[in-house]
Amino acid sequence: MSCRRQNSERPRAGTQIPYSAKTSFLLFFLLATHLLAQTTESDRPVPILTGTAGYFNFVTAGQNQLDAQINPVVLLPLGDHWLVESRAEFEGAFQRPPDGGAYGGMVSKNLDYAQVDYIASPFVTVTVGRFLTPFGIFNERLYPIWIRSLQQDPLILPLSAESNDGMMLRGGFPVNARVNFNYAAYVSAISTGHSNLQSNRDVGGRMGVFLPGPRIEFGASWQKLLQDQRTNSFGFHFAWQPTRLPLSLHSEYARSNQGSGYWVDGAYRFSQVFLWQKVMRHLEFAARAEQFFNGQIPPDEAEALGLPGANTREGEFGLNYYLRDGLKLVGSYGRQFSFAGNFNLWTAGIAYRFAVPLGRAAQ
Amino acid sequence: MKNKLLSAIWLLALMSTIGMAAASPRTDASTEPVVRNSAEVEAETMRLEGEKRFRANCGRCHAAPQKFPPRMMATIIRHMRVRATITDEDVRLVLFYMTQ
Repeated sequence: MSCRRQNSERPRAGTQIPYSAKTSFLLFFLLATHLLAQTTESDRPVPILTGTAGYFNFVTAGQNQLDAQINPVVLLPLGDHWLVESRAEFEGAFQRPPDGGAYGGMVSKNLDYAQVDYIASPFVTVTVGRFLTPFGIFNERLYPIWIRSLQQDPLILPLSAESNDGMMLRGGFPVNARVNFNYAAYVSAISTGHSNLQSNRDVGGRMGVFLPGPRIEFGASWQKLLQDQRTNSFGFHFAWQPTRLPLSLHSEYARSNQGSGYWVDGAYRFSQVFLWQKVMRHLEFAARAEQFFNGQIPPDEAEALGLPGANTREGEFGLNYYLRDGLKLVGSYGRQFSFAGNFNLWTAGIAYRFAVPLGRAAQ
Repeated sequence: MKNKLLSAIWLLALMSTIGMAAASPRTDASTEPVVRNSAEVEAETMRLEGEKRFRANCGRCHAAPQKFPPRMMATIIRHMRVRATITDEDVRLVLFYMTQ
């Protein structure tokens, strides 16, 4: 039966396809297959090595510190739903000894995050591993040196953990055409085995509302320590990018038993100034005002955590010049006021963001 | 009689051919540009919407970066989807805008 069908379907001698037509058909088929494969190939994400590198001079109360750092980020996409990502921090901070002499210091190494993300649905991403604590917006989103408008950390940054080891659910989805909702909820385990992987036993979360029309985002964060004194921390954040001005405003408030405080940060790009436009459109003015109030812990313990030992106010402003995408020169001046003493803060340096594909990126 | 019949068939075939030839360019002219234009309009709409979403979402934290090759952008947008909790629709439109 099958032989007969094969015989009947075989082209008869008089209607055989000419050689040129066969070749054309074969070429067309191969080309179509190749194009189809190319389209699929071009959409497939490629592993990337990205990150930042920077060199800064921080002059704090007349004491100069040379700071060189590199923060590599590895992004490894797997399939359509998985992403393995990691960021390390290598920072060398060098100072002259108080009695003079050559600059000396240490190179610190830290693993900021090493996590596996599974995009389970348009509403939920599951993250497992070591991740940046979603408390406020600075730690997760504004921390990299090529993003932050002023290089000094906000005074309240140490009020929440920077990284946690555990599991997190997060996502963002539109509530309607004018409102997006985003959230993150996590639980983390205690980790003391290695200095680079330290983590507290915490539970916490953050929720935010983003209004794409006026470009306003606001939200709240909460964290509960599930060890020692089982303290609570909470905070609020706000961000606004007006549509008519090249201005970006960010702000955070945080409170815990270790202290409380806020910062307000603004960056204005001179792209709308018509004078010397070739230069001015690369220039950005940034300013920050912040305040910290002592908590229920002694000053030496606060200083060990990186917090001020006394109630503190600080104002800072500076200029950033973007030489090209991802490369900027920075300079700023600030003054800190506290019961422990007032002093000046000067910063000058350069920040660079790099991104290299670990595979064929182009078609 | 036979010649007349053959002539009539030839004439009919000729008229049909001329009619088809006359009709086919008009069909091409009336449909193809419309299809191309609608596709272009759709792509342009997506690109503009993508740019709007890009400025709204990515501009929350940083200035507009350069455009990377499509396969790099696909990775970066997946990273940003997780980091900045960008919505599914915003991811698709921003990726379209950044790879055009």
